[in-house]
Amino acid sequence: MSSITDQLIAYAQEKRLSAQTLQRWQAWPENDQAAFFPIANALQLNENQLRDFLDWLEEITVRDGNNVSEVLAGSEIQHLLHTKLSRSDKLKTLKAALRKIRYPRLSQLEDELRAAIKALDLGDRVRVSFPPALEGDEITFEIKARNIEEVRNSLALLRQKCEDGSLQRAFDVLDEV
Amino acid sequence: MKPYQPNEILIEQGEENAVVVQRALARLPHVPVRMVEKGWERGEFPLAGRDQFAAGKKRLLFTRQRSTFLEHCPAGTSGLVCCNYLVVSLVSNCPMDCSYCFLQEYLANNPTLKVYTNVGDLLQQVATATDRHPSQHFRIGTGELSDSLALDPVLGFSADLVPFFAERKNVLLELKTKTDCVEGLLSLDPQERVVVSWSMTPSVIVDNEEHQTASFVARLAAAQRVQAAGYKLGFHFDPLIEYPDWEHGYYDTISQIFSAIDSQRVAWVSLGSLRMTPALRHTVQRRFPRTRVLSGEQVPCADGKWRTFQALRVKMYRTILGWLKDAAPHVPHYMCMETAAVWDKVLGYTPSCDKDVARTLTGPHLQTEGMHTT
Repeated sequence: MSSITDQLIAYAQEKRLSAQTLQRWQAWPENDQAAFFPIANALQLNENQLRDFLDWLEEITVRDGNNVSEVLAGSEIQHLLHTKLSRSDKLKTLKAALRKIRYPRLSQLEDELRAAIKALDLGDRVRVSFPPALEGDEITFEIKARNIEEVRNSLALLRQKCEDGSLQRAFDVLDEV
Repeated sequence: MKPYQPNEILIEQGEENAVVVQRALARLPHVPVRMVEKGWERGEFPLAGRDQFAAGKKRLLFTRQRSTFLEHCPAGTSGLVCCNYLVVSLVSNCPMDCSYCFLQEYLANNPTLKVYTNVGDLLQQVATATDRHPSQHFRIGTGELSDSLALDPVLGFSADLVPFFAERKNVLLELKTKTDCVEGLLSLDPQERVVVSWSMTPSVIVDNEEHQTASFVARLAAAQRVQAAGYKLGFHFDPLIEYPDWEHGYYDTISQIFSAIDSQRVAWVSLGSLRMTPALRHTVQRRFPRTRVLSGEQVPCADGKWRTFQALRVKMYRTILGWLKDAAPHVPHYMCMETAAVWDKVLGYTPSCDKDVARTLTGPHLQTEGMHTT
């Protein structure tokens, strides 16, 4: 079994990582390097993906005063790592889980907004979306229709949600932390 | 705070007799001096060490400003509300080294701390611009590309600036600082035309992120001294930094400030969220790997800069503004580099134009019939 240093170098060569990214990873304590290596390797992270993970893990540990191996040992992360998923699905869910740790209040707000929209029960002809990272104060409503009747129905539904105050709730949530 | 001590003084040929050069040489008698040609930087070998930006701060260069001194503040970015501020820079680069400082990116390839010798040209440009519009109000600051006072013990620029601005009826000069270098101001008479302002953050941020600056306590003591000497004060909670205990930190900071100074003599208070370009974030990560300023919940905004996400940022502004209004209800306040939407959420209105903001700030200090603000 080669040392973690050799493994990182081999991985960096295989993935053509920049020297800067490799150096950053190597600057971690050895047990942190070793804790993250099997994940990077299993997910075959490329330069950009790896940098996102390094950013978030470093920022979490600075904020919380812990270390990378402790973050990765968290129950949700461990559960995901041992769940049977395709590589791309695992990458997606793991990134989402890590993002929740990195952005706890933003993630919570996003969850609350999704719940508020779901509670509106607008059906599948009206799609509601929010600005990226909730940066802004506009909510977008899209109506899909095959004929004028469907447009009329969707508008009537939206009007009803405006009048009973339930749509206002979505705008209110956008501002609440 | 520790006095600035460069490793080397460089003087461009022809500038050796400038008043500011002579002052600096007299005040730094043991620092090696080298004469250089104009444009010498292009042939210069890189400085020793990995951190070129930090090394450049220790190389003091005297040169001439060959373009205009007077410029509009670059914070007036499209899409953001602006306060119509003008800036003049007699110094480019800063002897201090805040972890979040934009100069790390803006002056990344700058191998020196540059001082412009032709202060007379600056004063002439200001006189020309402000005399041409005698009925307009101007706010002009020197703290854009450097700290306004950090080098004052060496350069003594306050002795050139304060008497000049003290005589002008339609201009306020703002000296922005994170230092306690106010000695040079105390014997001058500002005639109500000079605002000395401090960038304030909780002590934990000062101690961990604002390297080589004066402590919070020292800044506050300096503010008391200049207030007693007849200057108006300003305070900038900019950058506002979100960290786990920000509410206690900012509450204590505001309480301490307004129990130590006379709020009737405060000209303005500003708030501005920490903001960084992606490139600056990378530089900060490289130069300050243990910094906590990148660990807040920051996201990319429409102007490409990263800020604390809007809902949390608005909460911070509202909370801090509430404390400021309690502590000093009559002091005008504004936000720096924020959208109209955030102004509306926080202050309940959006200025109809940049001049609205500026008028609120200069109005109480430059009341002259028929005047308006630029």
